Amino acid sequence: MNLPHLHLLLNHWPIIGTFVGLGLLVLAIITRSNDIRQASYVVFALMAVATIPVYLSGNAAAEKIKKMPEVAMTVIDTHEGAALLAFAALEITGVLALMGLWQFSRSKDYSPQFQPSTGIAMGVLIFALATAGLVAVAGNTGGDIRHSEIVEKGAAASSVATMGANWLAGIRYFVVDYSRWVWPVLEAMHFIGLILLLGTVCLLNLRIMGFYKVLPVAPLQNLLPWGIAGLIINVITGFMFFIGMPFFYVDNWIFQMKIAGIVLAAALLLLYCTASFRKWDWVGPNDDAPGLAKFVAFSSTVLWIVVVVLGRYIPLGAPN
Amino acid sequence: MEIPHFFQTIEESGISNWVRDNPFWAILTIHALGMAMLVGASTVIDLRLLGIAPNLPIAPLRRLYGVIWAGFWIQVVSGLLLLIGYPTKSFTNFDFYIKLILIAFGMVAMVMLKKRVFSDPNMSEPDMMAKGRSLAIWSLVFWLGAVTSARMLAYTYTYISYPY
Repeated sequence: MNLPHLHLLLNHWPIIGTFVGLGLLVLAIITRSNDIRQASYVVFALMAVATIPVYLSGNAAAEKIKKMPEVAMTVIDTHEGAALLAFAALEITGVLALMGLWQFSRSKDYSPQFQPSTGIAMGVLIFALATAGLVAVAGNTGGDIRHSEIVEKGAAASSVATMGANWLAGIRYFVVDYSRWVWPVLEAMHFIGLILLLGTVCLLNLRIMGFYKVLPVAPLQNLLPWGIAGLIINVITGFMFFIGMPFFYVDNWIFQMKIAGIVLAAALLLLYCTASFRKWDWVGPNDDAPGLAKFVAFSSTVLWIVVVVLGRYIPLGAPN
Repeated sequence: MEIPHFFQTIEESGISNWVRDNPFWAILTIHALGMAMLVGASTVIDLRLLGIAPNLPIAPLRRLYGVIWAGFWIQVVSGLLLLIGYPTKSFTNFDFYIKLILIAFGMVAMVMLKKRVFSDPNMSEPDMMAKGRSLAIWSLVFWLGAVTSARMLAYTYTYISYPY
């Protein structure tokens, strides 16, 4: 399997996932079911993680087919623009959904009567609707690339996709050409995000694994939003690097492995934010965490360290 | 300003060549992980003293100084190796001195914080937070500056090795 294949395999997931999540959210609002609402949030958060490799593999797919006579580069550019906007909207939806899950997992009096935040639900709903529209455009323009049978004659290019393509060009200009200091500053921010993420998540992990047993687990979980803030900083700065110099990264096997590591580690982080793992909160001072918790904590620590190591080695994996 | 000739002597030594040839990226990676330990553990202490995670007991966080010192010595050893590899590149860069000063300030802030907040086991948590507040803010500022100036080293050097 190569990257274009991966792109085709994964790219339907964010579209289907967005509509599934949206359906669940509407159902949750109608039935006032907290369980369905959490399920909807989990779907959105997972989709936000899963769409990262979808976006990144797109450049490789474009590279592979752009020399084919039946493929027009303008159609690919339009798709890339729509994809950027859909990606951004889905990431915001995912972050809001994560905040919703966080609220559920933190509520001391969790019960069927628990009233979750309406503001978060509305935020998720609005951004999910925007995402649904944008993934539809991204999917349509993507389909146009290789399926000339579905292209309608004389159809105007999507204005949304054109806007996205302009944004893409703007970001690339800002990161690479605007000033020689933009890239270094983004790198510094990427390291600060790394420190926030590893400092908080690994401390919680170490406690669950059995170090620093004097500390209770529940308050350590309150540090997690800072780690998630670090992750958000790094996803944003990381994507700016990628958009700035895509061909430094696309065919870079070390970068590909780093992304795989991030997807796995971020999924474990999501696990920490779901209410099903609230029972770990009962692990007080000098208590032993359950074996499954220790396994997750150990995996998370190893994965984040591997991600840092691979990140540092990216220049060595770049194609010549 | 003239570049001292002994930088060239260092660069021609066996250990300097070894650093540049082989383990350079490995040392750089260890330097990044050491940074995560040193600054990550410091940041957790600082944030807690500034009021984050208010039900996390403060006194046991004293044990994080183990991580801080382990990270610090990892940085000293890996940093010295990198310095032996590229003495001219580092010492001719003004930013390098800023970085060293900020790290020194960061460490001094953490040591003072330990003395002021963690030395008296009977101190109440509100007292710990009140006494540690300004040092915690300063420490965050110093670490932010140290990490930024450190990352800038890759973009601000004039010479990569002794100019012939």
